[in-house]
Amino acid sequence: MADSGMHHHQLLLDALVQPEVLTRYSSQQWELLLRVARRARLLGYLAVVLERKGLLDSIPVRAANLLRSSLIQARKQQQSVSWELNRVRWALNEHKVPVIVLKGMAYLLQALPNAPGRLFADLDLLVTKEDLEQIEFSLLDKGWKHHALSDYDERYYREWSHEIPALIHPERGVEVDVHHTLTSPLGKLKLDPAPFREAAVRVEEGLYMLSPEDMVLHCAINLFQNNELADDLRHLLDFHEMVLFFSNQEPVFQQKLMERANQLGLGRPLFYGLYFSRLLLLSTVSDGLEQQLNQQPGWLVRQIMHFCVPLALLPLHPDQPSKMAACARMWLYWRSHWLRMPLYRLLPHLAYKFYRSIFPEKVAHSGQVR
Amino acid sequence: MYWLSNVDLSSLKIENWDGEYTVFQPESGKTHFLNEMGLKILLILDQSPATLGTLCQELSEYFTLLPDAKFSGQIMKTLQRYEALGLVSSVTENT
Amino acid sequence: MNVGQLSQETFRTLLTTSGLRVKTGPFNLSIQTRFPRLIDQLHQMYAHYALVNEAEIVEFHVRVTSMRSIRRPLTRLIQFEVDGRSPFPPVPAEQALATLEWGINLAIAMRINHLLLFHSAAVERNGHVLLLPAWPGSGKTTLCTALIHRGYRLFSDEFGLMDPQSSEFFPLPRLMPLKNQSIQVIRDYFPEAVLGPEIPGTLKGTVAHMRPSQESIERSDESAKARWIVFPKWSAGANLSLESLPQSEAFLLLASNAFNYEVLGETAFGAVTSLVRNCECRKLVYSDFDNALKALDALTDG
Repeated sequence: MADSGMHHHQLLLDALVQPEVLTRYSSQQWELLLRVARRARLLGYLAVVLERKGLLDSIPVRAANLLRSSLIQARKQQQSVSWELNRVRWALNEHKVPVIVLKGMAYLLQALPNAPGRLFADLDLLVTKEDLEQIEFSLLDKGWKHHALSDYDERYYREWSHEIPALIHPERGVEVDVHHTLTSPLGKLKLDPAPFREAAVRVEEGLYMLSPEDMVLHCAINLFQNNELADDLRHLLDFHEMVLFFSNQEPVFQQKLMERANQLGLGRPLFYGLYFSRLLLLSTVSDGLEQQLNQQPGWLVRQIMHFCVPLALLPLHPDQPSKMAACARMWLYWRSHWLRMPLYRLLPHLAYKFYRSIFPEKVAHSGQVR
Repeated sequence: MYWLSNVDLSSLKIENWDGEYTVFQPESGKTHFLNEMGLKILLILDQSPATLGTLCQELSEYFTLLPDAKFSGQIMKTLQRYEALGLVSSVTENT
Repeated sequence: MNVGQLSQETFRTLLTTSGLRVKTGPFNLSIQTRFPRLIDQLHQMYAHYALVNEAEIVEFHVRVTSMRSIRRPLTRLIQFEVDGRSPFPPVPAEQALATLEWGINLAIAMRINHLLLFHSAAVERNGHVLLLPAWPGSGKTTLCTALIHRGYRLFSDEFGLMDPQSSEFFPLPRLMPLKNQSIQVIRDYFPEAVLGPEIPGTLKGTVAHMRPSQESIERSDESAKARWIVFPKWSAGANLSLESLPQSEAFLLLASNAFNYEVLGETAFGAVTSLVRNCECRKLVYSDFDNALKALDALTDG
C-alpha cells in the first residue's frame, strides 16, 4: 500500500491507528484526510479520539470545525435514536413485548468506546417471529408509518428479505427496523436466531442486547455476509474496537468468542473480521485464534479477499477513484448478493434494481435523499 | 386511570415570553411551545399524579373557569399529546 | 490576490485541473469544471473573491461535469458533485451556474454544525446585523439586494451564520439568486447591479444571480452582533407597516426555519433565546421599495 495511488488510505489508517500523528499533518494532508474520512463516515470518530486526548485545539481550526460539526451531528443522531427506543418501548409497553437492541444503539447501551462519535440513523431491533405482527400493529397504532413502498419492494421485504418494511414516526423521522432473524432466510448461511436470543443480556425489563460474543459475531456477519463492503471501514473499526474492549473486560473473551463462532457455524465471518483488523488496523489479537476456527477460507479465496476487501472497505480517492477498487467493489457486490439470495431470485432482483436506477420516476419513491 | 409527570421538571429548559413558554426537553431534543395552561398541567403533575377529574378541577380553580365536558375533553387531548411526546405517562390502576 | 486579477487563461487552467480555490466568508471552496460557458460566467461573477493558497485547508470541493443520459440522449446535461458525490439528478447544461450555487449552499447546510445556520438574509448597518428571515412570500433576497444598494453591508442573502457561544454573526457573501419578476425589478431600480445570465426553467423558475459588491467580500472577516430581526412580507398594493412582533413568535419562526436548530439541540435553544431577547423584532409588510427602505433606515438609525 506504499504506492502514491493509495496515499489517501494510509492517511486515514494512520490517523485511526495512531491519532497522535494528526497533530503533525500538514494542511494538504488534512484537506485530503477530511474528505476521505467523511466518505468513510469517520469524522465524528476522529473528533472523539482527539477530544479525549485533548488535541482538538492542536489541529488546524478549519479541520477542528469540520470534526466538531460532525460530532455534533453524531450526538444528535444518538439522542434521536435513544429517544426513538424510549418511544418504541412506550408504544409496546402494554403488550410487554421484549426487544433486543442491535447495532449502533446497542453499542451505545453497551458504552463501547467507539460509540460516542458514531453516525447512525436507524434503530434496529430483533424480536421473535411471533411478536412481529403485534409490534407492527402497535407501532402503526401509535403513529408510526411505513415507508411508501412499491409493490415490488413490499414483496421483497416481506417474502424474500428478513424484515418488515421500515417504520418511521413522521414527527421524528428515525427509521425503526424490526428484524426476526439476523440473516436473510433465503441466504446460504442458515442462522437460527434462537441461540442469539437465549444468550441476550438484559439491560432493563423487556430490553436486551446481544451477549458480547454475539455482538461481535453479528458485526462480522453484517460486514462479511450482509453487506457489499464498500466504504465500510467503520464497521471493521466497530468490530476491532469491540474485540479490544471485551478482551480487556474479560481475559477469556477471545477463547469464548472462538468457541461461540464454531458452535454457531460462524467461523468464516469471524475469521475475516480478525484477519482484516490485523491487516488494516494493526490489531494485536494473535492469529492463533483464527487457526482454531472451523470454516477458514481456502488459500485461493483468502488471496482474492486479501486483495479485494481493503480496496472496498477503504474509501475511494474523491478526485481519482481507482479502477482497480471499482472492480474489487463490483466483485464484492455480486458476492454479497450471491450469499444473500438464491440465483433465480438474484437475477430478477438485480435487473429490477438496474431498471429502477434508469427510470426512478416510474417506481414509487422509497428511499430518503441524504 | 391517573396521569403522572414523565420528566424531571428541573431538567426542562423553560423560557417565559409574556405568558407563552418555550420548553426544551433534553431527552428528546425537541422544543415545545406552550401557553399558560399547557405549562400549568406539567407543573401540577410534577407535584403529584392526578386523575383527569382532579387535574381539571385544579386548573379551573387556578384559571377561574367553569369546568365542563368540553374543557375536560380538551385537557384529555392535551394529556394524550403530552404522552406521545414523552412528557407525561398514564397509569391504569389495578395493574 | 483576487480571481479578477487572474488572466482568463490561468483562470481556465485552474478550473479545469487542480481546482479554483477561493475564500467565501468563513469557508474555502475548490471548484472544478471543464464546461466553457460556466468558466466564462464564473470569471465575471467570482471576480472579487480572494484566492486561497495550498497552505490553507479547503472545506468544500465541488465539481460540475458534463454527462450523458440514456433517458435524455439529446439534451446536454451537467451534474453537480461535492467530494465526488452527486446530491441532485443531472440538469440541463444552461442551469450550471444556478446548480453550482445551490449545491454549495446545500453542502454548507448539510455539513456545518459548529455554527447555527438561520435561513435568513443578513445585512449590517452601523455595526449591527439586521436579520431578514425567510418565510413564504418574504422576498428576502430581493429586499436584501435593495438594501445593499443603499449602503447596507451584505452578510448573506441565504444564511445567518451565528456562533452560538459568542452570538457573533459571520458574513458569507455569495451570489444572490433573483427569481422571476424580481430580476426586472432590480434591473430597473439599480441599473448598476452586476447580474449574471438569466437562467430559465429551474425548479424556482427563471433565476439571475447578482454579484456581491467588492467591499462586502473584502470585509467578510468582520463579524457583528444582531440587533434587529425583521420578518418581511411583500404584498401587492399593501400599505407599509413595520409592527413589533411578539418575541415568542419570532422564536418560533427563527427556530423552525433554521437549517440545524434541531441538530444543535440545547445549544440552539439557548442561542435563539438570547438572540431574540437582545433584538428588536418587527414584522414588515410593504409593496413599495422606497417606503420599506425608509422604514428600515429609521429602524437601524438609532
